[in-house]
Amino acid sequence: MAVPAIRTEGLTKRYGTSTALCELDLELDPGEVVGYLGPNGAGKTTTIRLLLGLSRPTAGRAEIFGFDCQRQTVAAHRRLTYVPAEANLWPSLTGEETLHLLGRVQGRVDLGYREELVARFDLDLTKKVSVYSKGNRQKVLLIAALMSRPDLLVLDEPTGGLDPLMEQAFRLSVREAREHGQTVFLSSHLLSEVEVLCDRVAILRGGRLAEIATLAQLRHLSALSVEATFGGVPPDLSRVPGVVRAVADGCDVHLQLQGSIAPLIEALAGTDLRGLLSREASLEDLFLAYYGPSQVLDQDAPPAVVAAGKSDLP
Amino acid sequence: MSTMLVGPQRGDLTAVSTHPATILGKVVARQASRSGALWGLAFGVFIVTQTFAYTSQYKTQAARDGLARAYGTNLGLNALLGQAKALNNVAGWAEWRFIGILTILGSVWGLLTATRLLRGEEEAGRLDLFLVGQTTQRAAAIQAVAGLGVGLVAMFTAITAGTLIAGHLSSVGLTLGQCFALSLTLVAGPAMFLAVGALASQLANTRRRAAAVAGALFGVVYAIRMIADTNTSVHWLIWLSPLGWIEESRPLTGHKLLLLLLVLALTITTAVAACWLAQRHDVGAAIFAGSNASAAHVRLLGSPAGLAVRLVRSSVAGWLLAVAAFALLVGMTAESATTDESGSSGIEHALSRLGRHGSPVEDYLGLTMLIVAVIVALVAASQITAIRGEEADGHLEVLLVRPLRRTSWFAGRVALSIFVLVATGVVGGIGTWAGAATQHADISFGSLITAGLNVVPPSLLLFGLGALTHGLWPKATTTVVYGYLAWSFLIELAGGLIKMGHWLLDTSVFFHMAPAPAVSSNWSSAAVLTGLGIAGTVIGGLFFHHRDLQNL
Repeated sequence: MAVPAIRTEGLTKRYGTSTALCELDLELDPGEVVGYLGPNGAGKTTTIRLLLGLSRPTAGRAEIFGFDCQRQTVAAHRRLTYVPAEANLWPSLTGEETLHLLGRVQGRVDLGYREELVARFDLDLTKKVSVYSKGNRQKVLLIAALMSRPDLLVLDEPTGGLDPLMEQAFRLSVREAREHGQTVFLSSHLLSEVEVLCDRVAILRGGRLAEIATLAQLRHLSALSVEATFGGVPPDLSRVPGVVRAVADGCDVHLQLQGSIAPLIEALAGTDLRGLLSREASLEDLFLAYYGPSQVLDQDAPPAVVAAGKSDLP
Repeated sequence: MSTMLVGPQRGDLTAVSTHPATILGKVVARQASRSGALWGLAFGVFIVTQTFAYTSQYKTQAARDGLARAYGTNLGLNALLGQAKALNNVAGWAEWRFIGILTILGSVWGLLTATRLLRGEEEAGRLDLFLVGQTTQRAAAIQAVAGLGVGLVAMFTAITAGTLIAGHLSSVGLTLGQCFALSLTLVAGPAMFLAVGALASQLANTRRRAAAVAGALFGVVYAIRMIADTNTSVHWLIWLSPLGWIEESRPLTGHKLLLLLLVLALTITTAVAACWLAQRHDVGAAIFAGSNASAAHVRLLGSPAGLAVRLVRSSVAGWLLAVAAFALLVGMTAESATTDESGSSGIEHALSRLGRHGSPVEDYLGLTMLIVAVIVALVAASQITAIRGEEADGHLEVLLVRPLRRTSWFAGRVALSIFVLVATGVVGGIGTWAGAATQHADISFGSLITAGLNVVPPSLLLFGLGALTHGLWPKATTTVVYGYLAWSFLIELAGGLIKMGHWLLDTSVFFHMAPAPAVSSNWSSAAVLTGLGIAGTVIGGLFFHHRDLQNL
């Protein structure tokens, strides 16, 4: 059995009385692309900093390809590269100089691929970092991470500041990485990006892992998205069996439905219904089901799907 | 579960600011006044304690006349602090000492504060947040300058409290007017260099460059003032230096306060120029933007150690040049500075009272090497704060996510810093020797190299204290290091002329440094300082290894 690319056991980080990450159990197989989702402050960046050895855990442990992230940091780092959300580079260096430095510190570079990436991301390497836009600074770090062809890419919201064309270039690069058997751990707020790129999705909530599963598994468990349009004021559908979330917007009602749709159809009979549209839940729907307004309104209510550790779903 | 209605209903807007267009000025004023009040408080305490100590130690007119004979003709001290003309009374002594020392420190505060609050904020992108509101670039600059003015008022208030307390000591007896006049003179330098800092912030596109431009200007006017005060044939040069105008105003004995109007005019002109230039460049850019692109120079970029050399080489070169120039000047004036105009042995007598026992030139150089020691300590402080800066700015994180041990990176930076400190000390010794050699002074190369090395241990202790703070409480590194350096400097200056409690003198790192070449280096004391510095660095490194990285 292959050594997991990432494995954490009870990984916990507290700052004083505040718990940023609580008993995280996570396992990523080599070669898979895993999205890491959660609202601001859920613990995504804390997880990544613990994996990289930049922060020390309060409890638990983490491994990268079997190397302890705290005790065997250098060995672990030989297998990975990282792109942070904020590209903090030395302003007095040019892009060329920065890539040279980071390649030398990493220890290995595919020079041909580096040139290909520079062309793909359309980056002028002669300019100093101080005059780069945020997007261009991010490109430098993306190229630096990809050009070493690491076994594991840890990406923390890597596409902030990239335009749509560069976003496509990024997606192409991640797909290439997967084709080469590289593992990708992608923390992102761009749900469309995660939906397109990732084999599995891990969802954090309040510092705890709420779910990790494939998108298909999540959709199977999740609510059906239904949009009903009425001729006048919509009826109260929140008490219909199976409706887990109902948001009224003028004459429209957006519903999340679990289980059979029959009770809803029965409830709609006799109403001034003008239109009915149902579709499979998108990742955004899944995300909102975990963190959306109804959850905010009712903090005590359990989330739609809560499970710890790697999914044991069918 | 309930249905949530989505609609356009909102609460009424409430005015939270009566003058939203002036909010930037208020923000700058708050930051500048905190800093100004703190520095002013330190200055005020210095004024009170020094005045009290002077009146306690030099109780008789004979003792004060002796002091005046010794120091009034000391060209070295005249060069450093300005010409002393009436040290045999408290007004003349206070004027010379406080204006000489506090104008330097206050001017440095002024240029650092202005560049931090103007260029630093613009560089960090925070100015953008204000400029998208109800203000323009020029209005923002005017507000910022006004905010700096509030900081100056805070400093003036704290200093005035000090001069009023000192002036009303029974044996001093300064009038209210004299106290205000002295306070006004003491903030003239800070005011001028706040304006210079504001102007430099429009000229240079980074905070570091702006501070360097303003610092270079300060160095030039200080050097002109020094030369004018050491050679009577070129004393007219003093009118070319605003610091000379401040010195010549002599608010307590000379009553030429009108000279401060020149300083005021220059300050206003400089501030207006800064505001005018503020809208002559893009936000985030500057009048002199420098090169945006260049060919790659990767010779030093093969390792983190090489990167460290690349990052610090400009500032280290600047420090080395400054130390070499200062040491050369000190060496060139050593022979003449120790020749008493009246032919008396006043200097020897006074230096002997302070425990110096070498030849006059050696005594003088022992005294001035203290300044070199302070500069080397400043280099140490800049090195450890640069190490912290790499972490705070997030640059270190980019390296440490690669196969690089924290301890290796830290050890590399420490080794580089120690090399720089030793080199600075040695350059100080060589520069002094070269200057003295041009005047055929009777002092050997070896003794001055030793004197140069002698100033390194205090800086190592300071570096160790900084490294320890960096390991334990990284965000306090700059405050602790510069705070302790300022404290040590003030205690050393105070202890030079005034008897202080031994326990108080012990708290200054410079007190434990033998004044070589006036006396032989105290290598056991130097070893203790070095040992403590190394211990602090090692312990700090261990804590750094085990703690979380902390970005700003």
